[in-house]
Amino acid sequence: MGLDAALGRSGVLLGFLAAAAGVATLAVGLARGRPELLRTGRRYAFLLLAGALAATAAMQHALVTHDFSLAYVAQNNSRETPLLFSITGMWSALAGSILLWGLVLSVLITVMVHRFRRRAGDPLVGWATLATYGVAAFFFGLMAGPANPFSTVSGPVPPNGAGPNVLLQDNVLVAIHPVFLYLGFVGFTVPFAFAVASLATGRFPEGWTAETRRFALLSWTFLSVGIVLGAWWSYQVLGWGGFWAWDPVENAALLPWLCATAYLHSALAEQRRGMLRVWNLSLLLATFSLTIFGTFLTRSGVVESVHSFSNSDLGPVLLGFFALVVVVGIGLIVWRADRLRAGGSLDSALSREGSFLVNNLLLGAFAFVVLLGTVFPLIVQAFGHPQVTVGQPYFDTMVTPLALALLFFMAVGPVLPWRRASPSSTADRLQLPAWAATLALVSCVAAGVRGPLVLLAYGLGAFAGTSALRAIAASFWTARARVGTPQALLSPHVGGMVVHLGVVIIAVALATSLSFGHRGQLTLAPGQSGRFAGHTITYLGDRTVTSPSHTALEADVVVDGGSRVLHPAVSQYGSNADAVGTPAISSTLRDDVYLTLDGPPQGKRRAVVLGVIVQPLVIWLWIGGAVIAAGGLLAAAARPGRRVGAFRAGHAADGPRPQAPEVEAPAGRGPPLEAPQAPEAPEGTTAQPAGVGAPALPGQGGEA
Amino acid sequence: VRRRWAVVSWGVMAVVLAVALYVGVGGGSETPAQRAARILSNVRCPACADLSASQSNAPSAVAIRQYVDRAVSRGESDGAIQSYLVSRYGPGVLLNPPDRGVSALVWILPVVVVAAGAVGGLLVLRRRGALASVGSRALPGRALGQ
Repeated sequence: MGLDAALGRSGVLLGFLAAAAGVATLAVGLARGRPELLRTGRRYAFLLLAGALAATAAMQHALVTHDFSLAYVAQNNSRETPLLFSITGMWSALAGSILLWGLVLSVLITVMVHRFRRRAGDPLVGWATLATYGVAAFFFGLMAGPANPFSTVSGPVPPNGAGPNVLLQDNVLVAIHPVFLYLGFVGFTVPFAFAVASLATGRFPEGWTAETRRFALLSWTFLSVGIVLGAWWSYQVLGWGGFWAWDPVENAALLPWLCATAYLHSALAEQRRGMLRVWNLSLLLATFSLTIFGTFLTRSGVVESVHSFSNSDLGPVLLGFFALVVVVGIGLIVWRADRLRAGGSLDSALSREGSFLVNNLLLGAFAFVVLLGTVFPLIVQAFGHPQVTVGQPYFDTMVTPLALALLFFMAVGPVLPWRRASPSSTADRLQLPAWAATLALVSCVAAGVRGPLVLLAYGLGAFAGTSALRAIAASFWTARARVGTPQALLSPHVGGMVVHLGVVIIAVALATSLSFGHRGQLTLAPGQSGRFAGHTITYLGDRTVTSPSHTALEADVVVDGGSRVLHPAVSQYGSNADAVGTPAISSTLRDDVYLTLDGPPQGKRRAVVLGVIVQPLVIWLWIGGAVIAAGGLLAAAARPGRRVGAFRAGHAADGPRPQAPEVEAPAGRGPPLEAPQAPEAPEGTTAQPAGVGAPALPGQGGEA
Repeated sequence: VRRRWAVVSWGVMAVVLAVALYVGVGGGSETPAQRAARILSNVRCPACADLSASQSNAPSAVAIRQYVDRAVSRGESDGAIQSYLVSRYGPGVLLNPPDRGVSALVWILPVVVVAAGAVGGLLVLRRRGALASVGSRALPGRALGQ
């Protein structure tokens, strides 16, 4: 056994033992009620991290130095693989991607125990830490057993390896997209662990939601970025001109995203109005179990997918872990629901919290449709019925009305105050967005756009977008007088509205690119030009490009007489028999021209067949993703409230919380003595930190 | 006066929207190319994981495209075209699950679950709201020592 294998296996073993010892220590500490054991228990996180770092270092060393004595390296690396794709080789197949998962999880657990170090003796923090160690023990256990990234090749060390999957070695997005996705998936472990802790202890202290909100927000942002980058990757690499195919792997990432989005909204109803507490805990459990379910779906080979670059026999283990999480979660909720129930109630359907209920219903329906559509063929098959396909048209049909309804409520929700809105002031606040929607619709119709769905998407997009801009402006003007210009933009509310803008941008770009695309082929001889969908495509000639890792037949193509030469190509990677097409894209803010080399030069004229796909506004999908990321970061960076009442051991704020007053003191530094009895919040108060019952920053204010 | 203007503004907007939507939804009859595209969007490329026959250049997808174009120009019905494709490539060739038999569940279940969720949620909230308002009315009484 070589050095890499030895170091790697030791790291995995250290991680597993640290996690297991942590679980045992914390369990004993919790069962016997001994805080000093809980404080000892948190230190295992550092051992866990050390193990993960050692294993990662060993894997990276093995990949970069092409140590083919490791079976994983021999299968996913070759001497010709460039450095970047050697590094990313760690997450181009199953065992290595579980190592990445383990690494991210270890870093996260370390951050978490450090953050809550002053309250390590609190059973709530103890339970949460125990839950994260349990998850870590599972993933390190996988690496120690069935998905060992450090197993060695049997027989002599091969002189060269197979290299990564050909689709995973010509685009830099493979370096970052999976990392973002995993940061998102893994990040929800912390809110999940605190949900388990709350259910196990039957305590839901003041500040719980605020303390875990930043973890949830950042994870959500990473997951959003990961999903958008995944769509971008498949657009640039797969060669069919699309970016979303309702593929099981895509759905597996979308499901936790939908649940987490629902949670981020309804958690606000908990924070501000003491509502939906048990529901929120259930959403967190659902989000986490769906990440595990997604891993099962994509890593077990039960479904075919264009993104799943691994097949394994891990299916039963992952399914077992998923079942365990679900059963324990449902059991805990049934056991504790009555004790944890929050006292808040819905005063009026026409209120911010009412709109969050609709949001949860729509997102829940969305998630249900995606889940059902993904697993339905498997269920039908399991019961011995003939094969059915549940494909794009099904998802499009079912999801489009839900998405349009979500856009509508994205416009209405932000203008509603907490508790109760008067219909007339709601109508006043919606005037501007509604006129913007009307103008957008009229100008689209005047410009010749036809079709109910596209027009609805544009109209509702303008409605939601203007409402978000209006909310940003209102919140900014109110806060500016108090805190000054830059700080006024740094609020969770503004962040949320920026995210809404990003979603609107994506919705409009989706509706446009899917409705007004053109797809066709041109047969062109060198020097010849052809017209397609308003663009001139000029074929200059072909050439063969050879690099150590692959040989490519490239066509030189110019779009609209520009100076940039595009190279749609067909490449042959090493010993891999199948040639893969590499599309080339000319992107502008207006539209994308997507070129593929469909037929090699033939005949005397050496004419090629070029596939041409022209789709408008595609680039705005990625811009929308960037806007969502900016909004998510803004919301996570903003201080959610003042530093009071951070939950601590034995703090008596458990149980039904006093309800936050509707209107806060406008510029107050302390909680108002008396909640004003105003029937409706004035504009902009939504951006201010809550007064009484305010969420607290995670912090040092804990133990006395 | 302001209120009256608001009502007028909403009224004008409703009329403008109705006219724009009436014009914009348009309708008009399908061209043969649109009809072929609509039928093809529901046909799976037999050689691909999850692409439709219109999105792929695999030989089998090209063959299906040519067949559908010919069948549309012959004026065959949607049903006849689909049943030919099913007889040739098996039921899995249709991307939309059929709306008969077991597969009908995949269409019905979401509607049932969402309706049940909405009704159940409303009932829970109403019951809780009723309890809370009873509780809040009773509490001051208890606090006053009654």
